[in-house]
Order: sequence, then C-alpha cells, then structure tokens
Amino acid sequence: MNKLAKSLSLVLITAMMMFVFTACSDNTKNESNSPSVTPSSESNSTPAPQASDGDNDGNWKPQTDLSKKVKFSYASVQGIEGFDYTKGDPLAQYYSEKFNYEMDVAALNWDNWSERLRIWINSGDMPDVAVYNYNHADAASFVEQGLIKRFPDDWKTRWPNVAAVFDKTSIGPQMEQTFGGTYFIPRARFMNNLPGDPLPNHPSLFLRKDWAEAVGFPIKTTYTTSEVMEFAQLIKEQDPGNAGNKLIPIAENTTHAVDLFVARNSTHFNKFYKDTDGTYKWGGASEDTLKGLKLFSEAYRSGLMSQDFYTVKNEEHGSFFNVQGIAGATFFQAPTSALQQFYDDFQANIGTDPYDNIQMATVLGDDGNYHQYDLINYWGAIIFSPNIKDEVFERYMDILDYNATLEGNTILNMGIENVDWAYESDGTTVKSLYDQAKEGKPLGGATGKYPSMGYLLGSTILFDDFAFDNPNTTKSLRDLSKQLYTERTQVATPDSFAKVDWELFAYDSPSFRRAQMDYYTEYANIVTQSGDIEENWRKWVDSKMSIIQPVLDELNSTLGN
Amino acid sequence: MENTHVVKNDSSLISRVLKSKEIYFLILPGVIWFLIFAYVPMYGLSLAFKTYKANLGIFGSPWIGLENFTYVFRDPAFLESVWRTLWINLGRILFQFPFPILLALLLNELRMNRYKKAIQTVYTFPHFLSWIIVSSVLINSLDMQGLVNGIIRLLGGDPVNFLGNTQIFRPLLYITDNWKSAGWTMIIYLAAITGIDTEQYESAQLDGATRLQIMRYITLPGIQSTIVVMLILTVGNLMNSGFDQIFNISNAATAKAGEILDMYIYRITFQSAADFSFSSAVSLFRSVINFALLLFADRVCKWLGAEGLFPSMKKKVKVQR
Repeated sequence: MNKLAKSLSLVLITAMMMFVFTACSDNTKNESNSPSVTPSSESNSTPAPQASDGDNDGNWKPQTDLSKKVKFSYASVQGIEGFDYTKGDPLAQYYSEKFNYEMDVAALNWDNWSERLRIWINSGDMPDVAVYNYNHADAASFVEQGLIKRFPDDWKTRWPNVAAVFDKTSIGPQMEQTFGGTYFIPRARFMNNLPGDPLPNHPSLFLRKDWAEAVGFPIKTTYTTSEVMEFAQLIKEQDPGNAGNKLIPIAENTTHAVDLFVARNSTHFNKFYKDTDGTYKWGGASEDTLKGLKLFSEAYRSGLMSQDFYTVKNEEHGSFFNVQGIAGATFFQAPTSALQQFYDDFQANIGTDPYDNIQMATVLGDDGNYHQYDLINYWGAIIFSPNIKDEVFERYMDILDYNATLEGNTILNMGIENVDWAYESDGTTVKSLYDQAKEGKPLGGATGKYPSMGYLLGSTILFDDFAFDNPNTTKSLRDLSKQLYTERTQVATPDSFAKVDWELFAYDSPSFRRAQMDYYTEYANIVTQSGDIEENWRKWVDSKMSIIQPVLDELNSTLGN
Repeated sequence: MENTHVVKNDSSLISRVLKSKEIYFLILPGVIWFLIFAYVPMYGLSLAFKTYKANLGIFGSPWIGLENFTYVFRDPAFLESVWRTLWINLGRILFQFPFPILLALLLNELRMNRYKKAIQTVYTFPHFLSWIIVSSVLINSLDMQGLVNGIIRLLGGDPVNFLGNTQIFRPLLYITDNWKSAGWTMIIYLAAITGIDTEQYESAQLDGATRLQIMRYITLPGIQSTIVVMLILTVGNLMNSGFDQIFNISNAATAKAGEILDMYIYRITFQSAADFSFSSAVSLFRSVINFALLLFADRVCKWLGAEGLFPSMKKKVKVQR
C-alpha cells in the first residue's frame, strides 16, 4: 500500500510541478522586438492641420480661472496602468501645468471597458470623467435615470470649439434631439478630412506581397473574400515563407474573423434593418449572413485559419503577421495613425522592407461590393458624472476646447512646440523636429517618448483626422490610407454600404435591450460546431427568435410602413 | 447497565441560551457577520419583482410582479443553461467529489512525516493560484502551438484542438478543478482522519488486519459523517458551477458548452444592456433551486441512516438505571 501511495503521489506531484513550472515561466513567443528606428518621414513638413473653426492659437481663452488647482478622476480604455498622467512625462506635465489639474486615471482594457463602466454608472460610482463606448440602449437608460450629467444649456457658446466638433459627429446633434439635451460629447474620427459619407471603417487586409508574388497571386488594392481564401490556399500549399507547421495562412481573432468573412458579405450582420420592402428584418437571419458564414466555415475547416483562432487575445493576431512573420495575411486594425508603428515593427522583426513586402487592401463581399453599415463619424463619447463639481466640469471642458484648436490638436498629436515640431516661417505650415532614429523610440505609445500622448489628455478629435497630414507618418502610408478609405466608398452600392437609419438607431424598448447579443462570439460558435453550417445557422436563428420576434413586431408596428 | 433513551428537552430556548450564555457569546461575531453580509443584502432580492431604476434605488423602483420571470422562462437559453449547469455539476460529483477522499486516504498511509508534509504542500499550493493564471497556463500549454501539441508533433502525431472541442471541454473542467482544489479539500478529510481513535488501529493491527482492510473498515467509516456533510453541501451547490473557471477557460468555440447559469447571468447583465432586475430574477431562481436541493440531499442522507446537516432537535441523553 505504501509503495502504491508513494508511486501515485510521485506521478501527481510531477504533473503538478509541470503545471506550476509552466505557470511561472515567461511566455515570450509573441513578444515584439523593440520598434524600428527607421526614419519615418518622407516629407518633414505639412500644411498645418486645421482643427475646429472656432478660436485657436493665442486667441484661445479659458472659461474658468485656472489659478485654482482641481483634481478629478478619469476612466478610459487604452490607458497605461499605473502611469502618472499628471506628471509622468513632459507632455502630461505640460497639460497639467497649463490647466492646473491633477488627474487620477483608471486604465481599462478592451475586455472590461464597457462592462466596468456600466457597473460604475449604474451603481452611481462613475469617475468624474469617462470615455464611454456609446451604446444607445444603455445610454437611453442612463439618461432616463439621471446617471450621467446633463450639460448646461449654454455650453455651446462657452466652448465653441467643442461645439464645432460635436456638430461634425452627426450623432451628437441627433442624440441631443432624442434626449432633449446634451449628455454625451462624441469624439469625431474626422474633423476636416472626412473620407466619405457614409463613413467607411479602417480595418484592412495586410497581405505578404513577397509571398503573393512567389505563389503568383495578383497584387491589388481590393480582393473579394473568396480571393483572400484563394491566396491563403496557395500559401498553405506552397509555404513560400518556410514557416513550416507554424504557418497561419490567415491570422485572425474572433472579432476580425467575423469581420473578414461575415461582415464583408452582410451589411446588417449584427443589427436590425429596414428592408427595401419597408419592413424591419433581423440581420442575423439574412441570406447574406449565411453566405458569409459559409465562407468562414470553409476557411476554418480547410485549415486556412488557425484552428484555435478564438483563443487569440488582445489582438495578438496582428503580431503573427508583423512580428513573428508566420502569417500570410491578416485582416487587422488599420487606422492611419497606427500604420507607421505596424510597418516599423515589421521591419524590426521580419528584417525586410515593409513598403516592398506588405500589401494593404480592402476586402469586398463575393458580390464585388464593399459591405458595411455607416460607421458614423465618432468613436466613444465623453461623459461626466452627475456629481461632478462645476469647477471640475468647466476645467475639463476648457481642456477639450483647447485641444480642439489648431494649437492644442497639434500638440496632442505631435508633442511640444519647438521641441517636437515648429511652424515654418510662413506660420501656417508645421514641420516635424522629431527624429525617431536619434531619439531611439517612437513619439507616443507605452515605450515612446510621451507615453501619455493620446486622447487621455482630453480630446474630442481622434487621431486619424490629423494623421492624414501628420509629417511623422511616411507620406506614402498616408496616401495609401486615404486611397483605401476612398475606394471603399466607390466600390459599393447604397444597399451594400448603408447610411445610418437614425429612427432605428434611437429606438429603445425593454425587448430591444434584451435582444442585444455578442454576434462575434455567436457566429464563431456556429462556425466551429461540427455538422452542416447551414443547418447550424438555421438552428441558431430558430433559438433566437423568441427574443428577436417581439422586437421585429414592435419595430414594424411603430416604425415600419 | 447503561441505556440510551431519547427524551425531549423541556427547558425553553431562552433559558437554555441564558444557561450557556458564555458559549453563545462566542458565536455572536459569526451571527453578526451573517446578519450584515448574508441576511441584510437579501432585501436586494426584491429587485426580481421590480424594474430597477438606479436613481430610485432598490426600494423606490416600481413593482412589476412576475414579469421578469415570464421573460426568463421565455428565453430558451435560460433553460438550456439550467440543465447544462446540472449536468456539469453531476459530473463534478462523480469525478471530483471522491478524489480528495482518495488523496486523504493515500496520504494517511504515508509514514514518513517530512515526505507527507511536502506532498501535502504541493497538493495544496494550486488552490492559491487564481483561475486567470491557471487558464493562461492551460491555454499556452494546450493551444495548437502549445507545449502539449508540440510534444504530440514531435512524436509524429497530429495536433489536437483541446481548447475548442466541446467533447473535451467538460473533462478539462473536471481535471483542472481536481488539480486546483482537491489538495485543499483533502485537508478537511485529513483532519477528520486524525480524529479517529488510534486504539481502533492498534486493535486491528493486533488482529492481523491488512492496511487495505484498516482503510476500508476503520478509516472510511470514521470519516463517513464528514463525507456526508460535504456531499450534502456539494448537492446544495449544484446550481453554482464554478463561474471563475468556466469564464476563463471557455471561448467562442465552447461558449455554448460552457454557458452555465452563472455565465448566462453574466451575459445578460454585463454583455448587453444592463438589466439588473432580470438578472436578479434568474439569481433568485437559482438560489431557490439550490435550497431545495440542499434539503433534498439532507433528507436522502437521513433516509440512508446518516445524520445529515440538521441533526434532530431531540436530545440523546444517557440515563443511568
């Protein structure tokens, strides 16, 4: 007995020690090398990007007395945990001294952003200021219950630069009308460089151009979903990069896989919509969605994607392409402001010229049209606690107003004047003084010169508007990005690239709230099930009808023809 | 001669409490803790019959009767999650419940104290790791490019999709939970074993009993009451199914296989527009079922001759004749 017990114990101990050892070891397989220090700018000057039409530069005046220091709490996604956003770097210090504040930041991540804010707001514990991932059903509930601050009626005259951005977002004025006052300041993706209406989204296909050439695949700026799969099949068969058993022809996570296959073929894949016959329908049950799911299923089952793509966290799949070099293509985030870093990382890690070896492209549905629902010109909205002190609210609005001016917007995007950038002698052109090769690090980002750089310092205009003109990004990349945005508006029909239906957008009811779901997880689940994909999809549609049908009935009786 | 009779204790509760007031004083902190953290928050259960409005608070929110429950039972995903929770937990009783007992029995047979303590420490350690860490280890070890599939490839086999296979999902739950918590639960049984009268072991050894016989006829019956209590508590928890574990291990491919009741509540509360009343209704339903199962298990154990969780109020007294 003693021997048996000892033997069993030894086996169990060995197994446990293996787990513990693995737990304590570093997982370095996906770590990026330090970013490239390649000079990034082909032209080092650019016409000064314009912010709002309101006051700017030296004429700008705060609405509050800045001599009294204020403290406030702030929550946002994409913050750096533990970083001092008051004095952590010279840029943070510049803002905190200029506006005399101390900011306590709660850095949320993509996985907990929406749910944590939702809990805080519902429990009356929200920070003074927060960047909110706008969701109309929740937003209506917050407004109805007085859980977020209503802006004073005169705010637009007091902070005209913010008001100008607010008008540009289109959702701002719409929601103001719906709620009978201002509760949200949506942040504009584009202020002066709006690339289209309806607005296309930025995620794009990054494809290994050198591999495509090696397997004889045509290089274009638009591919249908099936063409992307043809490329992946050729890569899988010929492995031109000699990645061996690590090769992933198309590297995706759950969200981008659904975006690539389902969303690119089905405009309304995740929402209700008004069909051409005037009745409201559910995108989940549309034939286009089924078409996308079939392609998704085919790609998954034929090994064109990683068999456990759904375990990829934190958008790591991009690094399979530009850091590890084991992916033939990836459908990935492509905001203009992030392209330089993506290309620099490729050069630093793969060791070849990204401008020669990466092909960026738009993915179309198999019908040859670009499919998307209007992105609407905003991403995230700034909200305030109903308990915020007036002096804090006014100070933060001052910060937002300043950053909506030309001067503020330039500082927020390029760093400190006369240190990182300067005006040319004409006074209207901005030139970059920042030399990444000399500094040995990028301007922004966690490892950059200014980790605080970004919207956490208070911005209503997001980066891509400025990025179109930012001399710190290679001109060819900026031009390519503009071209992709423009093409998406051209290779589409009014049905495939639909404009926002504001009536539907503003619709709210208990049934409507309960019919929300995580479509990305649902679709990935259908595709990874065994059995016939169409049968799986029909079963899924049937299982959802008990919560979907009441909404359709409501919509058709209240908004339908 | 000694006879045992069951007689009613006629003294009133108050007089008995006063008589042993020093002993009752010792349980006062526990009672206060329970009142504050377990009973007072129960007023929140009323949300199940209201439409929660944060600005009105729990008391001020309007009553809507059973409307939330009507909706709950209309959603097929709810009933599916109820059955899934029950199945997963019945599996836990079958595959996990005996494991710490077995470990305790085996460990009890070891004679080298230092070795015994070392093993006990190693078994107990995983309990202190969070599920986030365990799941990270698991994902990195079992994914298609992970350690295990690397070994399989080295041996000439085809990689196995451990993390996305719904057939493997439940065994994975049982194995990882056993690895993490069996050592900790084992402590309870080890403590019960130390309470067994050593004279019984000495007599058995004198009578020539083998170690297996001693384990079978002395150790196991000696910890029977502990096993029964643990079993009743486990049954009473059948509707809770390790949210932390499943939340961290499941993914889009196993989302349906892992949608237990807790995951369902999480999804409807935090992954869509917040509806606290609706989630309270589901939580209340779960608690009621758990309570019913607890009583049921207690009755079954008593029916089988064990003492159960709530021993009879009738007092056994020894009467000298």
